[in-house]
Amino acid sequence: MKEVIVLIGNYGSGKTELALNFAFQAANEGKKVELLDLDMVNTYFRLTDRGNLIKMKEIRLVSPNFVHSSVETLSLPAEVASAFALDWDTVIFDVGGDPAGATALGRYHEDFAALPEGSLKVLNVVNTRRPMAGTPDKLLSLMEGMERHSRQKVTGFINNTNLARMASADDLRDGYEIIAEASRRSGVPVLYTSGRPDLLAEFMAEERDPRFVGAPMPIETYMHRDWETFTREGL
Amino acid sequence: MALTLMKGSEAIAEAAIRAGCRYFFGYPITPQTEIPEYMSERMPEIGGCFLQAESEVGAINMVYGAAGTGERVLTSSSSPGVSLKQEGISYIAGAQLPCVIMNVMRGGPGLGSIQAGQGDYFQATKGGGHGDYHLVVFAPASVQESIDIMSVAFDTADKYQCPVMVVADGMICQMMEPVVLPEMKEYKVDLEKKPWAANGHGFSKPAGRSIINSMYITTEALSEHNEKLQAIYREIEANEVRFEAYNMENAEIIVTAFGTVARIAKSAIDDLKEEGVNIGMIRPITLWPFPYKELHDAAMAPGVKAVLDVELNAGQMLEDVKLAINGDKPVDFFGHYGSQMPTPEEIKEKLLSMREVL
Repeated sequence: MKEVIVLIGNYGSGKTELALNFAFQAANEGKKVELLDLDMVNTYFRLTDRGNLIKMKEIRLVSPNFVHSSVETLSLPAEVASAFALDWDTVIFDVGGDPAGATALGRYHEDFAALPEGSLKVLNVVNTRRPMAGTPDKLLSLMEGMERHSRQKVTGFINNTNLARMASADDLRDGYEIIAEASRRSGVPVLYTSGRPDLLAEFMAEERDPRFVGAPMPIETYMHRDWETFTREGL
Repeated sequence: MALTLMKGSEAIAEAAIRAGCRYFFGYPITPQTEIPEYMSERMPEIGGCFLQAESEVGAINMVYGAAGTGERVLTSSSSPGVSLKQEGISYIAGAQLPCVIMNVMRGGPGLGSIQAGQGDYFQATKGGGHGDYHLVVFAPASVQESIDIMSVAFDTADKYQCPVMVVADGMICQMMEPVVLPEMKEYKVDLEKKPWAANGHGFSKPAGRSIINSMYITTEALSEHNEKLQAIYREIEANEVRFEAYNMENAEIIVTAFGTVARIAKSAIDDLKEEGVNIGMIRPITLWPFPYKELHDAAMAPGVKAVLDVELNAGQMLEDVKLAINGDKPVDFFGHYGSQMPTPEEIKEKLLSMREVL
């Protein structure tokens, strides 16, 4: 059965990072993978920035029209239909942050609805170190907005709490508390906890309610947004 | 202290709020649209006002109106949008109103690009609008410094009753760094301290104004008004110069640079230090008032052979650097335009090539 993963979440929560990690993991297992860059809001730091790397892994990448042309008004490409029409093992949608970004998904709600039962995962990527996601209230109100605009229901949280180059296991611990509360209130399970392998191992070694931890997902960092990468590669 | 992972634009907006800003008027333009976007979310939460104007011209005139009440007001835009605001900025300077204007510079001229730029140095420091006026211009070089500068910018605007500009670029606004935010400051207009503020009740104080404008019809009145403004500018020049001196001990060459380019130059300087070559840097934090005397003094230190100005433009601050050095040492320039960010390697190479002939 085709597996369709939709990643939504606040700006800077790590959606693109996770999209790459999910895709590379699937490709390494020999699966046929398609990645869709559906961020129609933010011009910078997008999946297509890693286009060469994605193609090297023999993953199909779909990008908005006019991407990387310094044009700010992107438009959805017709090729998005290939996600539903063609025979992939894994399809991953990387959507823009916040409700405005999630709007891009709404147009495909009939296609999503036609997918076989159990093949769609809509994952809300959360980094509680980001300003608009630091409390259960903020998280839930953001999630409600994204659900409404995308015409989808979130099926699981990903705790991806980090402080970029200053990340520590404490970030995951704090994220756990806030997301657990949001999960209790909304009934949406936590499906993954993700982070740098060493930090994740430290976090996973401790006793916690597994309902709010989910599967551990060690990730490699491809999308640097820090100063050092900027000076090398620019925006 | 609690660290938050913030994009430069979000950090600037939050820092303004924490400095007491409760009024924001703006219009979207890349790469600063996250500032109004963040404000649209945050201002209603704290009882402030976010308003997306019909244009940049509308926004700056709303700033004029709100600033006239003594409140702390911010607008932000990027290069082409800041050009549109120039008439309003001149009026605000003429009417002696405090406010902060953010320019997230991009590549120009014209529509240019949406990548980082520094081509608005002349516009910011030499008066982009008409008439004899100055803006105090701050140029932060990191997300954290942008945060710290926002409260200084509002305080400076209030102290001298003048518009203040903060210039950043697409790099500072789009990158994400862990930062520390200051405590929230509640700002209440104190009519004792701002007797000029219009409060809707006529002349409430002896010095009060019920009409705020920048019109002085007779030549005598206009001349007197300008004299007053110039006296304030001299006071700002005497008191508000800010700069960072980096690695100045035994420096052979002094680099001058501002904003993100200074941060890149710093990487080059650090690399060269490891190779046994000492290069210093004077980084103006205020572009106006410019640290003329401080730069000249630094360049006169024994051992300093030359000055290299590095910018992401065709050499605009270079003119001020040359004025500061006044022919006493050779001044060279390295820059890119068209938003092509100089790399630490290129700056290193330039410095090493200069060193060979000095």
